[in-house]
Amino acid sequence: MELVFENIPFFLKGAYYTLYVTVISMFFAFIIGLLVAIARLKGPIWLRLIARFYVSIMRGTPLLVQLFVIYYGLVDYGVTLGSLTAACLGLSLNAGAFLSETFRGAIQAVPKGQMEAAYATGMTPAQAMRRIIFPQAVRIAIPPMGNTFIGMLKETSLVAALGVTELLRSAQLLVAQYYVNMPFYLAIGVIYWIMSIGFSAILEQVERRLARAY
Amino acid sequence: MKTRKGWSLTAILLMTVLVLSACGSKATDNGGTNGAQASNELEQIKSAGVIKVGMMGTYAPYNFLNDKKEMDGYDADIAREVAKRLGVKVEFVSQEFSGLTPSLQAKKLDAIISQMTITDDRKKVLDFSDPYITNQVKIIVKEDNNDITKLEDFKGKTIGVGLGTNDETYLRNEVLPKVGDFTIKTYDDVISSLKDLNAGRIDATINNMYALKPIVDANGFNIKAVGEPIKSDQAGIAVRKDNPELVAALNDALKGMKDDGTYNTIFKKWFGEEPAQ
Repeated sequence: MELVFENIPFFLKGAYYTLYVTVISMFFAFIIGLLVAIARLKGPIWLRLIARFYVSIMRGTPLLVQLFVIYYGLVDYGVTLGSLTAACLGLSLNAGAFLSETFRGAIQAVPKGQMEAAYATGMTPAQAMRRIIFPQAVRIAIPPMGNTFIGMLKETSLVAALGVTELLRSAQLLVAQYYVNMPFYLAIGVIYWIMSIGFSAILEQVERRLARAY
Repeated sequence: MKTRKGWSLTAILLMTVLVLSACGSKATDNGGTNGAQASNELEQIKSAGVIKVGMMGTYAPYNFLNDKKEMDGYDADIAREVAKRLGVKVEFVSQEFSGLTPSLQAKKLDAIISQMTITDDRKKVLDFSDPYITNQVKIIVKEDNNDITKLEDFKGKTIGVGLGTNDETYLRNEVLPKVGDFTIKTYDDVISSLKDLNAGRIDATINNMYALKPIVDANGFNIKAVGEPIKSDQAGIAVRKDNPELVAALNDALKGMKDDGTYNTIFKKWFGEEPAQ
């Protein structure tokens, strides 16, 4: 255990990269998810098909494969991304697909009558979406969104394969230095856990804030 | 109204924080993908003032993280010395061995200094400097195992080896057809293969002697090397193909080190003996 405490600064650096990748990917995944969900619900037929295809591919292939395609594969076509950029891009695209399903479900869960009532008051479809449907859908979407985000936090460990020294890779390097496994793997387990508790707490706050209307 | 305000406030706050952090990322990332169009790669490295060297970082005493959390070891010292002679700084990237060659080809690295054995197969996709070390590879088994002393004894056993290493190719392409069926289990680093050997999950592994000593010393592993060396390997500095200027510069640096004794000093520091001639 002493070894772990001695190496906390090193772990923190790894945790920093883990958090960094997670937060940036969350932001872009959120935007992608929203756009794709709207495209699938309201878009013209060709856009719906593209969106469906995207979701199907992202959900149907392993994240590690997607990361390899982006990091190693794209180079053959002249696109050379840094490992952090590739990591964020891969995670955003992947989580975006999952989030779009969450959002789609949430939007559909708002009763149809709400939309009709909005139209009846003379709102345009865009206004109705923004003012009536979204605020309600967001509340429904938060718990499953939390699932996706926390899942993403843990999946960042795959980024070690792209040469990012995040938490998992930090532990591997320390294992190689001290030749003991258990304390280091346990330690990063705890750090992942603490970080996911942090995210849960933030989401809970957001949820409470949004629920105040009721 | 109250609701909407509260909601948008939270949203705006969240977005601002996220966008700010995202901006930070773009700025730092761009440094990694510098222009690949300059005349030759030696010039590029010199003008960047830094050579990006890939290594496993989990292979003591060749390359590992020391107490100060810096890359250290024989490979790291060679890399530093070579960089000094090129007049540039060195930046280490630690990655699993099997990811090093793809990263080099994807131009994420300038060179690999990680006990990469010079082989004809690798020469098809990489260029190598002159060798900077010769390693003898032996069979390693548990202390109480007397069944395996030579390659022929591998038949029906499970043998561990590093994924993507020259040892793996050797086992698959040369030993397997000759000896008959055995299972090859691959690992991303040397330590986990030795731990599995010690735990009895594999029957044997092959590796070189220098790599074993620190691990065995630190762990009191009950493992031993048996038989005669099965082969001897020469490792070089790997760079991208068709890169003669860089290879020539690396060779000059290595030769200079050997001539003025720096090479011997580094070798003795890590292995406690004079390099074999």
